[in-house]
Amino acid sequence: MTELIMQAVYSGLLQGGSYALIALGLALVFGAMKVINLAHGELVLLSAYVAYTVESQLGWNPMMAIPVSVVVVSLASASVYLLVGKIKKNREINSLTLTYGVGVILTNLILLIWKADVRTTNSAWMQEAVVIGPLYSMRSELLFFGVSLALIVGLWWWLSRSWYGRAVRAVASNRDAAKLMGINPGYTELVSFIVAGILAAFAGVALFSYGVITPGYGGILTVKAFIITVLAGMGSIPGVLIGAVLLGIVEALTVTLASSALQELAGMGLFLLVLFVMPNGLFGAARRRG
Amino acid sequence: MKQNKFKLNTMLGALLAVYVVVPLAFGGDSYLMSLVVASLVIGGVALSWALLGNLGGMVSFGHAAFFGVGAYTSAILSMQYNMPVLLAMLLGGIGAIVAAITMLPVLRLRGPYFALAILAYAHIFKILATEWRSVTGGAGGIANIPRLPQVLGYDFSTKTGNYLVILTIVLAFAVIYELIRRSPQGLALRAMHDSEDATRVVGVNNTLLKGLMLLVSAFMCGVVGAFNAHYINFLEPEYAFSALWVTIPIVAAIFGGYRTITGPIVGAVVVYLIDQLIVKNMLPQGHQLVLGVVLVAMIVASPDGLLGLVRKFMRKKDAQA
Repeated sequence: MTELIMQAVYSGLLQGGSYALIALGLALVFGAMKVINLAHGELVLLSAYVAYTVESQLGWNPMMAIPVSVVVVSLASASVYLLVGKIKKNREINSLTLTYGVGVILTNLILLIWKADVRTTNSAWMQEAVVIGPLYSMRSELLFFGVSLALIVGLWWWLSRSWYGRAVRAVASNRDAAKLMGINPGYTELVSFIVAGILAAFAGVALFSYGVITPGYGGILTVKAFIITVLAGMGSIPGVLIGAVLLGIVEALTVTLASSALQELAGMGLFLLVLFVMPNGLFGAARRRG
Repeated sequence: MKQNKFKLNTMLGALLAVYVVVPLAFGGDSYLMSLVVASLVIGGVALSWALLGNLGGMVSFGHAAFFGVGAYTSAILSMQYNMPVLLAMLLGGIGAIVAAITMLPVLRLRGPYFALAILAYAHIFKILATEWRSVTGGAGGIANIPRLPQVLGYDFSTKTGNYLVILTIVLAFAVIYELIRRSPQGLALRAMHDSEDATRVVGVNNTLLKGLMLLVSAFMCGVVGAFNAHYINFLEPEYAFSALWVTIPIVAAIFGGYRTITGPIVGAVVVYLIDQLIVKNMLPQGHQLVLGVVLVAMIVASPDGLLGLVRKFMRKKDAQA
């Protein structure tokens, strides 16, 4: 029993890496632009399907799809930015409806191009078992956990050390003051969307490499990313990582101890619990209450 | 005065048209009637969505939850407890209110957080309906849900009967909406659009009012969902809690203008009929792509809806005349 639980915790931990990438993208855009991109999960899914095409058409390892995915998803993410920028009034509310519409478009495009079938990787290399002590995982899980950690460290470095990263944070905390410091907020917002797109591209390839994808999965990913940011409270990278790992572990434990059908319900339960007990998240500041 | 009389006349004319002319003219074409009934179902959901958006200032992506809970409540009450169908439909609305009450803590969250939280709730209810097999029949669903009854010798289970019932429901909700809008509370709610802080300062309990709007909206959506369950006689979680019950109404409400009362209803009829009659023929799979495009285009070009655009144009013309 202990072994099973250990194994579930380990699997959940690895899953948490990609979850964190998705949630960070959502939080980054929200921070810079006060816009929740409801199509974010669909962007991740788009990348996963690009990886599927690269594998099934060219017979390459899904890892090779990353450059293509990054380009496609960044462009898609930038287009979302351009559309949001066209909203004339009441941006906070209208951007929700708009990105929801983009999500509907992407879901149906995916449905049209790749059909409704469930897809998963055929790469034996990716699916090979890796054993660490008593714990098992697929190679892809471990690999992408490492990639996720590297990206998160990179993101942290970018936000705290680089000029553009700092500009994003400056715009997030005080738009007007940032303008006075010579930062072009529009450009900064575009950059944040593109970075979110890059993170989503990696997460999508990861999801395809160790999981199953269906056209309807995008909305669920957006909700999961949101749950993580509720757990974490926005604005803290370690918080998001911990929230993501927590969600991954809770889901994996539910699958092990109860049933896989209840997996999503467990995440939702966690979300409600935090909402009722700690409405500001586990690590967040009192920002989202009105 | 004269204008009021004119308004009254057009209203009576419109009522006559929808209650008498439409059934007489199209009652024989059961395919067309089924499309009209379905579009009115969408219209009812769109109206309830717009009420929450317009009066409550909240964008909900979770109305599928109210729709599904209303449908399941009514189906289960009428089948397992032999309740009369019309009473069960009303209680379906109450069931949706109960679902909305569990969502009330979400009202502490603002704007985007609220929208996402309610989306998460919709997922929860769908999973509950799938997993709570003893009551809901699980993923297999419920078949043979009783049809609408005979009342005073008229059989409402026919296509035309169904049409008259859903039409009455939607119109009744439109009247309720208008009454709320005109009430002092409605005034306070509309004032909250301009400044939530200012209304709070003059003593409006805005969280309470917003919560009430959520309950009213849930009730309306629940009753419409309940009607739909008895209309198609079948329910399954994937259908009852489908994201379509959110997407089409949102598109319809935005298309027709969610700040108006007629907008969402007219928008629903137009959008649904175009989707079913034209787009679906061209793109059998993924025809909702077009819905997404319409939604995005509307938000970018005219978030107040086509009717709003037309009205603005008319007013300009009036001013010139």
